[in-house]
Amino acid sequence: MTDTRARTAGEETPSPMPGDEAPLLEVKNLVMNYEIKTGMVSAVEDVSFAVPKGRSLGLVGESGCGKTSIALTLMQLLPNNARILGGEVVLDGQNLLELGEEEMRKRRWDDIAMVFQGAMNSWNPVYTVGDQIREAIYLHWEPRPSYDEAMAKISELYELVGLNPGMIERYPHEYSGGMKQRAVIAMALSCSPKLIIADEPTTALDVIVQEQILEELRKVQHEFGMSVIYISHDIAVIAEITDLIGVMYAGKVVELGSTREIFANPRHPYTWLILSSTPSITGPRRQLAPLEGEPPNLLDPPPACRFHPRCPFATDICHEREPPLEEIKPGHWAACWHHEEVPTELVTESR
Amino acid sequence: MLKFIGRRLIQMTFLFFLFLTLVFFLLESQPGDITSQFLDPNIPAQVRQLIIERLGLDGSVWNRWWNYITNFVTGNLGVSFSQYPRSVFDVIVERIPRTLFLFTFATLLAYFIGFTLGKRVAWKRGGFSEHAVTIGGVLLYTVFYPWFAILMILLFGSYLDIFPINGFIDPGFWRNAPFTGNEVFSQLILSLAIAAFIVSATAILARRQEERRTARLIRAVGYPLSVIVLVGFWVIRSEMRPYALDIVHHSILPIITLALIAFAGVMLLTRSSMLETLREDYILTARAKGVPEKDIRDRHAARNALLPVVTSFVLGLAFIIGGGVVTETVFSWPGMGALLLNATVIEDVPVATGALAFIGVLALLGHLIVDILYAVLDPRIRIAGRE
Ligand SMILES: Nc1ncnc2c1ncn2[C@@H]1O[C@H](COP(=O)(O)OP(=O)(O)OP(=O)(O)O)[C@@H](O)[C@H]1O
Ligand SMILES: [Mg+2]
Repeated sequence: MTDTRARTAGEETPSPMPGDEAPLLEVKNLVMNYEIKTGMVSAVEDVSFAVPKGRSLGLVGESGCGKTSIALTLMQLLPNNARILGGEVVLDGQNLLELGEEEMRKRRWDDIAMVFQGAMNSWNPVYTVGDQIREAIYLHWEPRPSYDEAMAKISELYELVGLNPGMIERYPHEYSGGMKQRAVIAMALSCSPKLIIADEPTTALDVIVQEQILEELRKVQHEFGMSVIYISHDIAVIAEITDLIGVMYAGKVVELGSTREIFANPRHPYTWLILSSTPSITGPRRQLAPLEGEPPNLLDPPPACRFHPRCPFATDICHEREPPLEEIKPGHWAACWHHEEVPTELVTESR
Repeated sequence: MLKFIGRRLIQMTFLFFLFLTLVFFLLESQPGDITSQFLDPNIPAQVRQLIIERLGLDGSVWNRWWNYITNFVTGNLGVSFSQYPRSVFDVIVERIPRTLFLFTFATLLAYFIGFTLGKRVAWKRGGFSEHAVTIGGVLLYTVFYPWFAILMILLFGSYLDIFPINGFIDPGFWRNAPFTGNEVFSQLILSLAIAAFIVSATAILARRQEERRTARLIRAVGYPLSVIVLVGFWVIRSEMRPYALDIVHHSILPIITLALIAFAGVMLLTRSSMLETLREDYILTARAKGVPEKDIRDRHAARNALLPVVTSFVLGLAFIIGGGVVTETVFSWPGMGALLLNATVIEDVPVATGALAFIGVLALLGHLIVDILYAVLDPRIRIAGRE
């Protein structure tokens, strides 16, 4: 199987940016499984991608395809049954997987902050939101700031994310869902991290608040110039705010490129199908094509290309050899034996 | 907060009246007439009628009920039959501090150890120590309590002979003592109350500080100060000291026994509550923030796991009162529980009623304290109360 692996260490990391933009984060050949009684769940399989400095990358894929697993691996916040079996997570030239637990603890939030899926419950109910943001500041600022300095920073961040600084010393239950989420963003910014991972940052919110929060996120990203990884199952939401997109299927990254390129010229059948099944507000009206079948059980994923059982273009080679993630065009990567056959037009009606 | 306490107080007063009424009717509904039991059947009917009137037993039930309530409020609980002519109020007031002493220490000990152990066991999921502690906890939790108390006496009082078997004081030692047991005991309570006040003031003050260094300084002064004050108190009262130590010596075994029994429930509850809390999203957030593991355990997880444990105190009150009667009886500790049981056995009705009523008062007070504590610990309650 190793010879069919897409890539081996030492090669160039798939960067969805043409040219020579310096990558902040490089994920190389990452493999992570969950050990359960009945076997190993292959949640992250040979995943490689890079995030350039100051850019935002969206990770899209169906529920259960391993998006959160990747995020937790980057932060090394995995549950006890998770096994990192290989690969590198290089941030600013340093492999985080080689750091000891204490060193990694100091890097969390300082270098990589995270907004969690369901961030509504991210707040400890017995402390004020201010207490909890100050906790992060006191832990990571060098030298440790005074109370007044910390408060000045928090007020500034509250203004930035559109919260009233009068709310700082209030408890989480006094905040609405949207306010909690804004406050989480403020907390994520409090130590000026190089990278923010936002895992479904708006899933639990209503559409209007969702829009506002995304706008807020985009604004602060431009203001601070940090890199952001957005995780979502909704490619339309991702497309609005990210420069780059990585499409995931069953634990693997199957296509990677700039948002514009992915939308204009999807080269993986899975991407092509999900774009076809996503309503477009601006484009012409068309019939939506349903994506047939179920995502595979990661305890026992299909061999070779994991998408072949659902793929309209599948041939023998697809279940015999694994397609490598190839740069088919500068900055555009896809892992499919038949990427040339994928039509440029989206499907207009169900097959 | 004050409004919250005020409202609770009003509710509790109401509850207490209900309780008193219940106690009254419970006794009313006993079979037989108290007069036929206590009055010599040979006395003339006229005299008998006079006595009944003097005792206020002639009115209607409602009249007597009203008398009973009004007398109770003014502290008039009647006169003890067995310790005639001491008033019931006197008897009870003498007993209350002893019971409070026993229970406060046993409860504090049980909650402190139970909570500390429970949170550690949950934190280190799996492993030998978790199983050992859990099994030990379940054993203690289910053991037949009077049997366990006797076992403790046998072990520590008889075989090892470290503690007295029972009693409040050693009568031989106190012969010709210049003080009464109650005098020494009240001084003991006073000194402990002062020390407890200093400790809690220190803890509260230190918690309020935003700067860690100031908090540490306050603790470094406050905690040793409480010990110094306690020691100083008994240096000054040196002639009383050996007698105070005798009382303390007698109290240790019942406190430990009661604490061990109560501890198991606290530990098991803390463990399950902590396991639940550890699955919460805010724990993951705290980890992502780079909070050190020990702070995640104590500041984030255990602090939340504490809430159901505090609530459980109220539910455990009934158990504690029952256990109290047993403990005081087995250890011959002359507190409220022993008083109640004894008075019931020898049919000292006024004392039994009074003791029952006052145990009710203590239970309600315990309830109130826990309510306040809960509001202090949980901002969701505290702030809802403010609005
Ligand atoms: N602790 C665990 N033990 C075993 N399997 C797990 C564990 N956590 C996740 N999984 C499995 O790993 C796979 C990937 O899960 P993950 O949460 O990363 O998906 P996701 O893409 O974030 O999905 P969603 O959109 O629903 O959040 C799933 O099949 C899931 O069932
Ligand atoms: Mg997820």
